[in-house]
Amino acid sequence: MVDTLRDKVAIVTGAGRGIGRGVAKLMAEEGAKVVVVDPGVNVDGTGADQSIADSVVAEITQAGGTAVACQESVVTMSGGERIVQTAVDNYGKLDIVVTCAGILRDRMIFNMSEQEWDDVIAVHLKGTFTVVKNACILFRQQRSGRVITFSSQSGLVGNSGQANYGAAKSGIAGFTKVVAKDMGRYGVTANSIAPRASTRMIGAIPDSAQELRARSGVASLSEGNELDQLDPDGIAPFICYLATDYASTVNGQTFLVYGDTVSLMSQPRPTESIYTSSGHWDMDELSELARNYLTKDIYNPAPAT
Amino acid sequence: MADLLKDKVAIITGSGRGIGRGIAILMAEQGAKVVVVDPGVNVDGTGADNSLAGGVVAEIQQAGGEATACLESVATMDGGERIVQTAIDNYGKLDIVVTCAGILRDRMIFNMSEQEWDDVIAVHLKGTFSVVKNASILFRQQRSGRIITFTSVSGLYGNSGQANYGAAKDGIAGLTRVLARDLGRYGVTSNSISPGAATRMTGTVPEEARNLRSARGIGGSTGSAPRLRGEGDDIAPMVTWLASDEAAHVNGHVFHLTEGLVSLMNNPEPVKTIHKESRWTVEELAKVFPATIGLELFNPAPVQSPSQ
Repeated sequence: MVDTLRDKVAIVTGAGRGIGRGVAKLMAEEGAKVVVVDPGVNVDGTGADQSIADSVVAEITQAGGTAVACQESVVTMSGGERIVQTAVDNYGKLDIVVTCAGILRDRMIFNMSEQEWDDVIAVHLKGTFTVVKNACILFRQQRSGRVITFSSQSGLVGNSGQANYGAAKSGIAGFTKVVAKDMGRYGVTANSIAPRASTRMIGAIPDSAQELRARSGVASLSEGNELDQLDPDGIAPFICYLATDYASTVNGQTFLVYGDTVSLMSQPRPTESIYTSSGHWDMDELSELARNYLTKDIYNPAPAT
Repeated sequence: MADLLKDKVAIITGSGRGIGRGIAILMAEQGAKVVVVDPGVNVDGTGADNSLAGGVVAEIQQAGGEATACLESVATMDGGERIVQTAIDNYGKLDIVVTCAGILRDRMIFNMSEQEWDDVIAVHLKGTFSVVKNASILFRQQRSGRIITFTSVSGLYGNSGQANYGAAKDGIAGLTRVLARDLGRYGVTSNSISPGAATRMTGTVPEEARNLRSARGIGGSTGSAPRLRGEGDDIAPMVTWLASDEAAHVNGHVFHLTEGLVSLMNNPEPVKTIHKESRWTVEELAKVFPATIGLELFNPAPVQSPSQ
């Protein structure tokens, strides 16, 4: 047992499986007391298996760590409150929240149902808000805390067939930047992770979307072959590092993490600009500059076929 | 009357005021038939003023253009469907959707209520989905169409006090990147606008958040983003151009627009990377990170002592 997170109390949502499970186990190894949050739903959000969180807790305690299971759902504010309360009730405080909980309901935009949209936004985006908001009340009072959320390359770059998931995941990245600004002055940091790993979440992308991607040549970022070899436990060390006192000035960033690689993602910045000195565009002038300069060699991720 | 959008039919949500109004008027000037969508709510989403959309339609008609008012809310799927149907019923087709509709409910994260969160996500994020999804059914069938959504510097960089708005606006950018990939093959383009304009939306950032920002020396209301300036009308020309046949090759991008300036934004990309041939330990990362990708990392809100 090492001790980079000694005496810390951590909540990890979606910790019953995949990336969250790896994070919970490594945090416990590093000395943190961990709330393993997972209602044990299927990857599409249906069902509930209470034993999923319990078995991760059993693994942790057998290895000499400290953990408690929590089967609450992140989708309601009261669920978020009870999750935070579980940490306080069991361990007397809270230092770290890691929000991995997520589901998938992939569909091309023109076929996506309201339910498919709502469910994915609820678990990912609101499910991040419910836990983080309640944690921030404590973090502000104690003037310390770590918020680590999960974005995705699907949100940052865009994967066909994932309008709901991409919106939620990009939304989480934007949310996290605001939390970083709201909470930084109180000694709290907020960062988000775009992971690549072979988990059950990858298996749920419908074949039709996979095929479309392949045919339109935009598959590069979620190529099945590469992902098959990326151990989800590879994400955990960097999450744990962000949660330590060493990372107290790392705030408002997005990191791409896969295998044994960690990348800092760029901040938004202009790449090309056109300007009219009069301050107000004439349509002919704009059209000329937009066509012949600004968008001349612009990349199209899915050209018309 | 110019004709960049001659015979096109456009839906513009949130076009009763501000940026949306400027777009509706310019698109009509350029020959488009315009559905002016606005239930006339206050900037916090309350109330309803039926005359707003009608006022813009009257302006367009007086200038010789064609437009029809639609008072539906974008926040439900039914509303989105009826908005698209209004275009079909009045003009027989749909070529362009521009989604400007939005509200604000600013609050620091630790004080933000569930209602403040839900309302902002509903209008911006679901309100973009509800219109775009229904439009995309037609666009796919006809193998053409233009989708122009509105993101914000608040989502791209983060503004203090806007966790709900920042989440919604960056969510819209992410949604638009997926739309570009779902629909590009059908000849449909999807792009997103980050506007820098002084409208009633920028007037509601609470004093508390403004003061916090200035106390931290972040300056302006947008952190490291370009400063807000200009007017709603400054956004319309580039949006109108993106809606035209000339922009058929422009797909999946974010443009930042301020007075007289049009900037193509970068797509998120890795800028610094560390790699090891075996699993990192936390202690190793604590040593390596600060000297590599953590070097000179910008902290948007450094810790302050309680007295500050």
